[in-house]
Amino acid sequence: MKINRSDILLVAATAPIFIFFTLPIAYLISVSFKTKDDVLSGHFLPTSPTLDNWPAAFEAACLSGFIANSVAVSLLAGALTLLLTLPAAYAVLRLGIGGKWLGDLTLSSYMAPPIVALIPLFYLLKATGLLNTHAGLVMLYGFANIPVAFWLLTPFLRRMPLEIEQAAAVDGAGPFRILVHIVVPIIVPGIVATLIIVSVLAYNEFLFASAFTFSDETRTLPVGISLFQGDRLVNFGQMAAASLAGIAPVYLVALFLQRYLVAGLAHGGLK
Amino acid sequence: MTAIDFPPARRRAASTTADHGISAHRVIGWLWISPILLGLASTLVYPTLFLVALALSKSTLGKPFRSFVGLRHVRDVLQDPLFVTSLTKSIAYAFITASTQLAIGFLIALLFSQLLKAGRFLVSLILLPLMTPPVMVGVAWKLILAPAGGLLNGVLLNLGIVDAPVSFLGDPVFAWFAIAVADVWQWTPFVVILSFAALSTIPEGVHEASIIDGASPLQRFWHITLPLVAAPLSSIYLLKLILSFKVFDLVYVLTFGGPGFATTTTGFSIYRRALEQFDVARAAAETLIYSLVIGAVLWPVIRIHQHLERKDA
Repeated sequence: MKINRSDILLVAATAPIFIFFTLPIAYLISVSFKTKDDVLSGHFLPTSPTLDNWPAAFEAACLSGFIANSVAVSLLAGALTLLLTLPAAYAVLRLGIGGKWLGDLTLSSYMAPPIVALIPLFYLLKATGLLNTHAGLVMLYGFANIPVAFWLLTPFLRRMPLEIEQAAAVDGAGPFRILVHIVVPIIVPGIVATLIIVSVLAYNEFLFASAFTFSDETRTLPVGISLFQGDRLVNFGQMAAASLAGIAPVYLVALFLQRYLVAGLAHGGLK
Repeated sequence: MTAIDFPPARRRAASTTADHGISAHRVIGWLWISPILLGLASTLVYPTLFLVALALSKSTLGKPFRSFVGLRHVRDVLQDPLFVTSLTKSIAYAFITASTQLAIGFLIALLFSQLLKAGRFLVSLILLPLMTPPVMVGVAWKLILAPAGGLLNGVLLNLGIVDAPVSFLGDPVFAWFAIAVADVWQWTPFVVILSFAALSTIPEGVHEASIIDGASPLQRFWHITLPLVAAPLSSIYLLKLILSFKVFDLVYVLTFGGPGFATTTTGFSIYRRALEQFDVARAAAETLIYSLVIGAVLWPVIRIHQHLERKDA
């Protein structure tokens, strides 16, 4: 292992990038262990670290309830998106149903900012009695993330060798059996990546959640954190602790399933 | 177009199993795409019709569609200087952040692609900002920028650059800058991952051949690397533009559209008009105009992207 000048240059270039992308989270961690006075010092590290902020953050708001709501809603919504999109994407891309325009339209529907659908969806949820319910959010995210799932699954489906499906069709297997027994096992990485990404999108979503939930029983975590800042003013230490508690689930997922994530995102960007 | 080749029908009678099989598959196929159709109906068709109806009528949140008022709301919106300004700001924000992130993200991806083993690790690490809920991204940057106890003010005070804490989010220009920096932090990793993937599709032999031909690194980049990744880069840019138009959480947490209306994006102004003032009819008119403007702004970018894709094919 010889170290030459270009290696040193690369490290020198990488260091500021590394610092920039880790600093906000590192500071959040640091502030979560600071006392009230210590926060005001503006130093990076806590001078006399305290553990008080963490339990205090959980007591100040129904933080564990918010996290539970978010986890439940995002997992159910992610599963719903996948269940709706996988057969549909297969039908469009492999069975030739609906033609090219349907795939294009599905993808282009993602272009409109969510705010556009805010008012109409408010009335739709109100009419169906789904306002301020978890079921409403699950349905909403489940359908809203179809374009993303479609985009992520497309390259995986396209790359499948057609011969296997043809052979199964010749043997008399119907589309359902082909999809479940042949396609799904082959594209497991794509399915996992899609499931993670659409679940994370649902977990992180704020606009609809803040507009369509208005009680602590239904509120999701981003909404809970946003309230932390307003009427339930707490100190920075608690806010940092609460935010980190909410970030933890997604980071754990990212850590353990990063292989799928990077692969899923990378394939999605390529034709 | 790839359809599964079903075994050819042995007999031509309508009641053969093979024929029956094919028509049954068509039915299953349409059944399978029904969620997409339902999704498009509920997120595209229904909202559009609803917004048009709402924009043309006198409405309150509790009682929509009271009476027909024609284009009154649309006229009011177009004559509202705050709304027009918010449009300009939203468009400028989208192009500035998307362009910045494309440049930084692509450069980082180039750098990472030089670091064979560490590159993959760094790509994984850079995932974290992307996964962070945007509300929490806002909180993290808010703590860094806070006047009392913010990291940036702490550093500036200790270095003697400023004498008193600066309220960054209270300044119209800095507040925009803060939102943009948080946006760069959150989304540049996305650009890096996609660019990294695009770069890794370039065959190794291409570079080797050009080195043998005596091309300088800069020439290689300009004449070989860049044309090869132009199409994927244009699609990344388009995607990032769309995402920048969706910015909402960061504005909500960092500035709430302030100071005054300085950082009120169109999306944020629609949100406040609908959910704080309950003026749904006018918010609907704003929404329709906003959608048309985004479409018009993205159109040339989409055309360029399609052109590059065709060149690739």
